[in-house]
Amino acid sequence: MMDWLSEYASFLTSRQEDILIALRDHIYISALSIILGAIVAIPAGVWLAGSRMGWLNSVVFTIANVLQTIPSLALLAILIPLLGIGRAPAVFALFLYSIMPIMRNTYSGFKAVDPNVMEAARGMGYSRMQRLLRVQLPLSFPYIMSGLRVTTVYIISWATLATLIGAGGLGQLIFSGMGVNKKELIVTGAILAVILALAADFLLGLAEKWVTAKTRSAPASGTV
Amino acid sequence: MRHRQMPIRMKGMARHATFAPLAAALIAVCVFLSGCGNGNRIIIGTQTFSEPKILANMYKLLIEDRTNMKVKVMPDLATSTVVLDALTRDDIQMASLYSGIILDNYFPIERTNDRASILKQAQEGFDKHYGLKWFDSYGFENTYAFTVRKELAEKEQLHQISDVKDKAQSMRLGVDTSWLEREGDGYEDFQKVYGITFGKVYPMEVALVYNAIATNKMDIVVAYSTDARLKQYELVTLEDDKHFFPPYDASPVIRKEVLEKHPELQEVIDLLIGKLDAKTMIDLNYEVDVNKRNEKRVAEEYLKKVGLLK
Repeated sequence: MMDWLSEYASFLTSRQEDILIALRDHIYISALSIILGAIVAIPAGVWLAGSRMGWLNSVVFTIANVLQTIPSLALLAILIPLLGIGRAPAVFALFLYSIMPIMRNTYSGFKAVDPNVMEAARGMGYSRMQRLLRVQLPLSFPYIMSGLRVTTVYIISWATLATLIGAGGLGQLIFSGMGVNKKELIVTGAILAVILALAADFLLGLAEKWVTAKTRSAPASGTV
Repeated sequence: MRHRQMPIRMKGMARHATFAPLAAALIAVCVFLSGCGNGNRIIIGTQTFSEPKILANMYKLLIEDRTNMKVKVMPDLATSTVVLDALTRDDIQMASLYSGIILDNYFPIERTNDRASILKQAQEGFDKHYGLKWFDSYGFENTYAFTVRKELAEKEQLHQISDVKDKAQSMRLGVDTSWLEREGDGYEDFQKVYGITFGKVYPMEVALVYNAIATNKMDIVVAYSTDARLKQYELVTLEDDKHFFPPYDASPVIRKEVLEKHPELQEVIDLLIGKLDAKTMIDLNYEVDVNKRNEKRVAEEYLKKVGLLK
């Protein structure tokens, strides 16, 4: 056991540089896809929740749903003629996958706001923008964060496939380990991907708590 | 109320998704659990590219035609290493492998680039350490080949690998998912032997490197020498002037105990030994990879053409 551990430790030190590059690429690809996804999907969800055009909702959600169901490897393959290989198609594919859960959760959050609360806000003379920012957004915030966390966790795990189209990342360790009979590479890639997903989920959880605490205390200090 | 439940349920899904990369790494194991090699049935495993799939289908047709055994082909095992693992675990009983795989530290070897010696070491080593019968070659090798677009080769007067030395810094190199990691004939040793380091290196699924170079996304790729897409895209293979790449002779490999239990297999397997040269194999690969035909049909058509199947 100790032999095995020290062997693994010396493997880690000797390959430190490659492992860090793979980790860096992985974080880069996943983070960029999720940020792009959030930029598009949160406003889209807010807008759909406020829109009175029911057919539009179903059209948008159907498209997002269909995108979601395309097998990831197939999507990557389909994107090659359009975007070539490397990071761009990988980020784009993961971005497409991130839209649905973020948008769905944002939409659900906004829809879940009690209409009586909205009525009260309107009665207090809140403008549409004020209702959006001071009432709907804080109330639906847990939903939005939950969507982000879900998305982050699975984008990080799916990004392991990005290496197949030349985008690098932790998948590179896994696939090259499979290619040359080095189990330690596979294990390292897989463990790092799991740790990365758990860490990202944890950090987003902290951020959620922090923001919630902030927004709760703000009105109180104003009124007292 | 329906909406309120949504985030919670999706969160549960995410917890599962966390383990997806782990699952990906172990996927081979899971697939193999469903296989079994009992009785009169054997499973031939193949790698992800067309060549071993065609060969597996040839043996399926021949074995089912000439013995009372049943053969199942299990395609798309990620790499030769996975195939070999599956063989030693008895999840599959037969496969096509390439002699140069002995460089991947399966047992101690004597370093050489001599074709006959590498094959002999593979045969003896896998017999002794893994209980596998490694046959003589089909008659072709499928090794790594540095390849460029024809117009680039003409413009820059590239004939052999050493010719790219001055340009390498500005070149994008496309390789399969394992070449960078290989010891002995991988990138690290390549840099030492040739003194060439490329500007950017992109590992990817090997099936994509051909299109990537043809469409100018890469400047040079490490291809597999019998791939028909070299022919399709008119790619030029640079001569390995320092004899860096070892030979990768292709051979059928079977578990010894299966051969002992079914001695009639020996004769059937021998039917293809020494019968397929590189040109034949490239043509067969061409039918599948370029003309998009089914591997089984291509295998069947060939066997009928040479009279091995009626």
